[in-house]
Amino acid sequence: MWGNLGGKRWIMLRAARGQQQAQTAKRLWNLLVFSVDGLRLAARTEDVGGVSPWTESIPVPSRTPFVQAMMKRGDQVMAVYDLAARLNRRLQGQSFLCLVARQFDGPMAIRIDAELPTLETVDATAIRTDSSGQLETLGSVTIQGEDVTIVALQRLGRLSQHVALH
Amino acid sequence: MALRGLQNSTIASVDTARLLILRLGATYVALPAVGVQGILTRSEAADGQAVTAAGVVYPPVDLAGQFSLAPDFSGMEMRTVLYSTGRSQGAIPVEQVVGLADVERKDCFPLPPQFQRDERSWFGGMMLHQDQLVLILNPAWALGESDDAGAASIGLAGQMCGATSAASGGSC
Repeated sequence: MWGNLGGKRWIMLRAARGQQQAQTAKRLWNLLVFSVDGLRLAARTEDVGGVSPWTESIPVPSRTPFVQAMMKRGDQVMAVYDLAARLNRRLQGQSFLCLVARQFDGPMAIRIDAELPTLETVDATAIRTDSSGQLETLGSVTIQGEDVTIVALQRLGRLSQHVALH
Repeated sequence: MALRGLQNSTIASVDTARLLILRLGATYVALPAVGVQGILTRSEAADGQAVTAAGVVYPPVDLAGQFSLAPDFSGMEMRTVLYSTGRSQGAIPVEQVVGLADVERKDCFPLPPQFQRDERSWFGGMMLHQDQLVLILNPAWALGESDDAGAASIGLAGQMCGATSAASGGSC
């Protein structure tokens, strides 16, 4: 009898702890912080398919804003999104990194600075709404005293389509 | 035996397409070879002029201009491809005729969905040829046929990619 009760209590404690952990995890966002021409940006780690050295992209005639090239990685060919051009920036230097955005339609490559991205964990309550409307974002957050925009990689390119169409 | 052979050849004709691969600057494009009526050297075709061959007039097609490319047509490998869809004809200058390739359906892919504008009607799909990305042209569009005609006669390349895209959830 006591043992059963003790077991139940233990299960309840474990469930409560699991719930607490889930809530904490929900409250915390794991971000990958990267830069484009020195401008620091972030993305949710679950929206990132990987980071690798940039290899030459293949130009593709296109009227889609900022989507005018493709990149081949092994047998996979993916669209390249020119985030630097979207931000009116110009990537400088010889070497760059390729950030792969996970999108519903498939992966999309983005050229970023060669500076290695870092991982940051932030509390969701620290994320401010970004109302500039210039880029698909999930908000902005202060990291090491700097305002960092969180790019909504899953939606990147959709807003520019909309803006360009209207 | 003969029936089996016939069946195989029927399947092959549906599942493969012979494409002529062309180069414009750094861009490689392909046209279904069935529409190629001739390939002329620089001395055989005047710049930007219509070409008459076997009584058929092939108006000049500025494919490079339509793609906003700036190819160099001064090279020795420059050629003019005489092309016909059956409805329309055109003389297409290219920097280089790379060659012919028999492409299987499984090797043809739709453009990534992130390409969302006019280019979806320009290209029926894409493929890799000798490690090079090749865009498969919609010949009807290239020769300036109407959108309806383009959709109707996008050709085997488009059909091939359509099947591939259906399998992969994209559109071609």
